[in-house]
Amino acid sequence: MDLYGKMAATQDVKGKGEGGDQNFDYMFKLLIIGNSSVGKTSFLFRYADDAFTSAFVSTVGIDFKVKTVYKNDKRIKLQIWDTAGQERYRTITTAYYRGAMGFILMYDITNEESFGAVQDWSTQIKTYSWDNAQVVLAGNKCDMEEERVVSVDSGRLLAEQLGFEFFETSAKDNVNVKQTFERLVDLICDKMSESLDTDPAVTTGAPTAKLTDSAPPLQQPGCNC
Amino acid sequence: VTANNTPPRPSIFSTLRRPNVPKPNDFIALFNDCIAVASSRTQEYLLFKDPEDKFHPSTEVLTQVFLMTYISQSVNLNMTDSFNCTAMTPEQRILLGADWVWAVLEKPTKNPQIQIAVQVLHLPDMQDAEENFPSEACSDSILIAQESSNKNMYERMVDFCTSIGKDCYALFLFFGKKNDKGNIYGVLSNNFEAAIGKCNKIDRALIENFFKVFLQREKEPYKPLYCKLTCVNGKRLNV
Repeated sequence: MDLYGKMAATQDVKGKGEGGDQNFDYMFKLLIIGNSSVGKTSFLFRYADDAFTSAFVSTVGIDFKVKTVYKNDKRIKLQIWDTAGQERYRTITTAYYRGAMGFILMYDITNEESFGAVQDWSTQIKTYSWDNAQVVLAGNKCDMEEERVVSVDSGRLLAEQLGFEFFETSAKDNVNVKQTFERLVDLICDKMSESLDTDPAVTTGAPTAKLTDSAPPLQQPGCNC
Repeated sequence: VTANNTPPRPSIFSTLRRPNVPKPNDFIALFNDCIAVASSRTQEYLLFKDPEDKFHPSTEVLTQVFLMTYISQSVNLNMTDSFNCTAMTPEQRILLGADWVWAVLEKPTKNPQIQIAVQVLHLPDMQDAEENFPSEACSDSILIAQESSNKNMYERMVDFCTSIGKDCYALFLFFGKKNDKGNIYGVLSNNFEAAIGKCNKIDRALIENFFKVFLQREKEPYKPLYCKLTCVNGKRLNV
């Protein structure tokens, strides 16, 4: 059975229970990964809180925020996990890859090393995640044109080779931040619809569970998102 | 208020002030100083009792007093480039079990060389009282963080430190303990995971058994922690 239908949480029952606000139709788990200091935390802050600070604070281990988006009258709750880029946290961050439906793989257009590491991060996704996870490659800090060392074409070409979507972004100037998340959500929804089309078995069952790593819930009929 | 741009004359008392310029490798003494100031400030409130027994400061406030004092002092002493302190977000506190993380930073990369993840433990009766009367509604993300693991907070922090390696220490900081409610104690180790093999679980009782690091006491202020911190893996931290 295609796991995709199982990986998305569904929730029709609007009531109290575990997981906080239960008033949502789907829950997607997303991860932001990439080298240290490429701007992962800033990117998430811009998207979730519409805020930016230039002060750099290295993320310790892992953190996350929740944001709810609407798509075709469906409420989609996004669990967005912000991972530390430093090698010393690799054990703890890769533990959270499990169950993730989408990744934003980020590099810094002013940092060649971070671009060179994209292939390795892609391998990490393949190793620790599952085959159908969707990935968007994001070249961040595109506001710093004068310090650019990675061309747009290089980014786009690498994304094509890896089979990822591609955006250049700026958390500072709020360029393509929302678009990156929206595209990732679209990709996940498309993949869910594909799964449901090819495997009607996933459309049966009571739609009462939420997304968890350990106990994948059954999917509710039809993904209209 | 003056209209011109003449800088204010320095106070004559400024000449009495010792310059806060740290020498290389002396951050341990500065860290010790920050801990002393933060501990003293927190102790002022540990034994507070409202005569009418209506007002009860929360455990969160005590943790914040310690952390605010520590951070202010470390900034004043200009030591954050070599030894920094990262307060955890509410979600991280639950995911990782730590209230804050201290780190010895490598120069010039500023990558952590040695870390100390700190979890504050309060007197059980204070914590129990707050569980009966939650001070704030649990947010969505807090509940998700709580459900991310079935381990307790002690085990989460030990797991976090273990996942990093032996250069990450877990420090359980007791704000008062049963027979000494006005002092601050700490238990520091990079090997708590060994306890899991022997006892199957880590709980408060197990950690209390380790009271060998004594943060602050009137006659012997914070010396053991200092000693412990200066000798990590057989090397001085500031080597």
